[in-house]
Amino acid sequence: MPEVNGLKMPAKASEKEMKNIHIDPVPDDQKVEVALQHLDEMRKKFRSFVMAMESCVKCGACAENCHTYLGTKDPNNIPTNRAELIRKIYKRYFTLEGRWFGKLVGAEDLTLDVLEQWYSYFYQCNECRRCAMSCPFGIDTCEVTFVGRQILHWLGMVPKLHANVGAAMEKAGNHTGLPKPSLIDTLEFLSEEIQEEFGVEVNFPVDKPDSDILYIPSSADFLLNPYTLMGAGMFFTYIGANWTIPSTVAEAGNFGLLFDQRFTQRHNVTRLLDASQKLGIKKIVWGECGHGWRAAKMYIPTLADRPVKWPIVHLHDETSYYVNTNQLKLDPGKNNHPTTLHDPCNYGRACGMTKQLRDVLSACVTDFREMTPNQEKNFCCGGGSAILFDDPEMYDLRIKFSAKKAEQVRATGVGANGDGYLCAPCSICKAQLYPMVEEHKLGVEVKGLIDLLGKALVWK
Amino acid sequence: MSYFILQILPYLTMVIFTFGLLYRLGRWAGSRIVHNITLSPFPQSNTQALGILGAELIFFRSLFNFDRPLWIGAWLMHIALFSVIGGHVVGIYFLGRQFVYLGMSASLSENMSAVLGTSMGLLMLAGLLYLLIRRFTIAKVKEVTGPSDYLHLVLLLTIVVIGNIMRLWEHDLGISYAPVKDYVTHLVMLQPVPMNHEVLTKPLFVLHLLFVQILLMIFPFSKLMHVFGMFAERWIINRVYKEPAPGLPNVDVAAARAAGAGLPSGDGAA
Ligand code: HEM
Ligand code: SF4
Ligand code: SF4
Repeated sequence: MPEVNGLKMPAKASEKEMKNIHIDPVPDDQKVEVALQHLDEMRKKFRSFVMAMESCVKCGACAENCHTYLGTKDPNNIPTNRAELIRKIYKRYFTLEGRWFGKLVGAEDLTLDVLEQWYSYFYQCNECRRCAMSCPFGIDTCEVTFVGRQILHWLGMVPKLHANVGAAMEKAGNHTGLPKPSLIDTLEFLSEEIQEEFGVEVNFPVDKPDSDILYIPSSADFLLNPYTLMGAGMFFTYIGANWTIPSTVAEAGNFGLLFDQRFTQRHNVTRLLDASQKLGIKKIVWGECGHGWRAAKMYIPTLADRPVKWPIVHLHDETSYYVNTNQLKLDPGKNNHPTTLHDPCNYGRACGMTKQLRDVLSACVTDFREMTPNQEKNFCCGGGSAILFDDPEMYDLRIKFSAKKAEQVRATGVGANGDGYLCAPCSICKAQLYPMVEEHKLGVEVKGLIDLLGKALVWK
Repeated sequence: MSYFILQILPYLTMVIFTFGLLYRLGRWAGSRIVHNITLSPFPQSNTQALGILGAELIFFRSLFNFDRPLWIGAWLMHIALFSVIGGHVVGIYFLGRQFVYLGMSASLSENMSAVLGTSMGLLMLAGLLYLLIRRFTIAKVKEVTGPSDYLHLVLLLTIVVIGNIMRLWEHDLGISYAPVKDYVTHLVMLQPVPMNHEVLTKPLFVLHLLFVQILLMIFPFSKLMHVFGMFAERWIINRVYKEPAPGLPNVDVAAARAAGAGLPSGDGAA
C-alpha cells in the first residue's frame, strides 16, 4: 500500500475494519459520484471550508509556515496547494467560473486518482493550524483537511491506525483497547511504583461514585507515559482531591476529530457525559492530550446532544492555578536538567493554553529555556492528527515533518550534554517525539509536564 | 465601439458586479459556523477582536509577521490602490480642487492632486510588478500560481499602465477632470452624452474604462473576493472566548498538607 501512483500513503483499513466503524466502503465505480454528493453537503454546511475555497489569493505566505512543506519541499504540502486538491474539484462542480473557464481557473474533474491524492495529502497534514495563523485572511487549511478526511471516511478510505482506534474506543472506552481489569491492574502497579520511588501513598480511584473530580487521562499514559499518570495521581493526592478515573471513558483523545467528526467524535462525548452523570462529579479535568483537549474544550459544546452542566478544564489550568497561588511546595532541584518546552499546536493555537505551561514548568525545573518560535507561533512536532504511521515511507515522512522541531530544539542547546529534557505535554507529541529525538540525535529525553511536577512535589 | 464601452457596457457591468457579489455573499451566508474554531490567544472582548481585525486590515499584520518580503509589496500596492481609488473619486468630483478645503489655493490644490495621483499610480505599478516578478522567481510562489493568477496581475497592470500614461502625458494622451465629471454625471443620471463628447475621442480613456469594467465583471467570480473574504474569515476565527474559572471543588491544599495526605500512615504532620 505505501505507494499508489507514486503517492506516499498509509495502509488503508480493510473492508472489515471499516465495518467495525460502521462504514460500508463505497465501490470504486460509485466513489466519484458519492464523493461529490458529500462535498456538496459539506460546502453548504461549513463556512470555514467555503472561505478556504473562495477567498485565497495564492500569495504563498502559508508555504514556509507549514513544517510539512519545509521538511519535504513537496509542493502539495504547501497549505494552499493541499486545499487546492479539493478546490480544483469544488471549482469544477460548484462555481460558475470553474464550469465556464475550466483549466484557466484551475478547475478539474474528480477521478479516482484525485481521491488517492486526497488520501495521501490530507494524511500528510498535521492539522496544526499554523497556516491559519500566518494567512493574511486567516484561511484555515486544517478545516479543508477535516472535510477531506470526512469525505474519505464516508467512502471507506481511512488509515488502519485511525479506523482501529475508532473501533477500540467504541468497544473498550479507550484507544488502546484496555478492558477495565487491565486498567485497574496498571493503576495498582503505578501505585506501587510511586510508593517505591517517591515513598508516598497514591491511590487511583476508578469509577468511584460521588467523586468531585472526573480525571480523563490519555490511555497512552497507561502503557507509554506512566510518569504522566503517576504525576497526575500524585498531584491530586497532594492537594487532597476527591477524584476518580472513569473506566468507560479512560481516554482524553478523540480520534473522531481527526477523521470522523460525526459518529466517532460524538460517541466519545456521549460516553463522557454518561460517566459524569453516573458518578455525580462536579468538574471534569482533562489530561495531557492536545487534539483531545481541543475536541473537548472547543467541540463538546456543539457536539453534546444534551445540556452539559460540568465545567471542563485542563489539568494544567489547575496545576498553574495552584502553582501561581503558591499552594504547592516544589523543589526544581529534583529536575536538574536543561529543559525546553514544545507547545502542542492544539494548546497554543486552538485552546489558548501557553502561559499555564510556562508557569508550571519554570516552577518545576532549574534550567528552562524557550525554543523559538514558541507559544502560538510554535511549529508542530510532525505527529499532529495522529499521523504516527510506521509504514517505512510514512515513517520517513515523520522524520522530515519533525526536522523543523529538531532544529528548534538544537538551537536551545538543552541537549548539548546529552542530558536535556524536552517537555511535550501531549500524548501524540510524545508518541512522535520518543523516536524522533533519537532519529535527529537531539540528546534529550521527552517528558510530560505533570511528570515533572509530580517529581518536584515536596510532601513534607 | 467607444460608444458601447462608455454608454452601454457600464450598466451591464454594474448589473453583473452587483448580482455576482450578492450571489457570492449569499452562498457564504448560507453556510454556517458549525464548531468553535477561534484561534488563540483568544480576544477577551469584542473591542479586542475588532483590534485584531483592524491590525490585519490596515497593517496586514499576519503578513508582516510571517512573510515580510511579501508584506512590503502587498502593503505598498494596497495603500497605493486605496489612494488611487480615493483619488479618482475626490479628484473627479472636486475637479482637483479638493485641497482647497485644507486651505490651499485652487492651483496649488490641482498641482497637489496631480503629484499625489502620479506618485500613487507609479507606486502601484511598482507594487504590481514586484508581485508579478515574485510569482515568476520564488519557487514556493511559483508552485501556488495558476494561469488565472498571472492574468489577474496582467489585467491590473494594463489598467495601471494606461492610467499612468494618461497622467504623465496628460496633454497629448490624457484627459482633464472636467469632461470626465460631466461623463460620470450623465452616466449616473442615465442620460447619454452627446456623440461628439470629449471622452469618446480619447482612445486611452476608453481602453482604461474597458479594462476596469472587465475587472469589475470578473470580480465576484475571482480571488478579488478576498476583500470580503477577509471579514468573513476573521468573523470565524477571531472571536471572544472566556475561560472557566480555575480551582477544584472541595479542595483545601493547606488542610490536606496538614493532614499529611499521601504520606505513609503515622508519618503525617498531624
Ligand atoms: C483587507 C485586507 C486585505 C488584505 C490582507 C489583502 C491581501 C492581499 C494579498 C496578500 C494579495 C496577493 C498579492 C499577490 O498577488 O501576491 C492581494 C492582492 C490584491 N488585492 Fe488585496 N488585500 C486586502 C484588501 C483588498 C482590498 C480592499 C482591495 C480592493 C479594493 C484589494 C485588491 C487587491 C487586488 C486588486 C489584488 C491583486 C490581485 C492579484 O494579485 O491578482 N485587496 N491582496
Ligand atoms: S494545518 Fe499545519 S500541517 Fe496542515 S497545512 Fe496547515 S500548517 Fe500544514
Ligand atoms: S496564505 Fe492564505 S491567501 Fe495566501 S496562499 Fe496561503 S491560504 Fe492562500
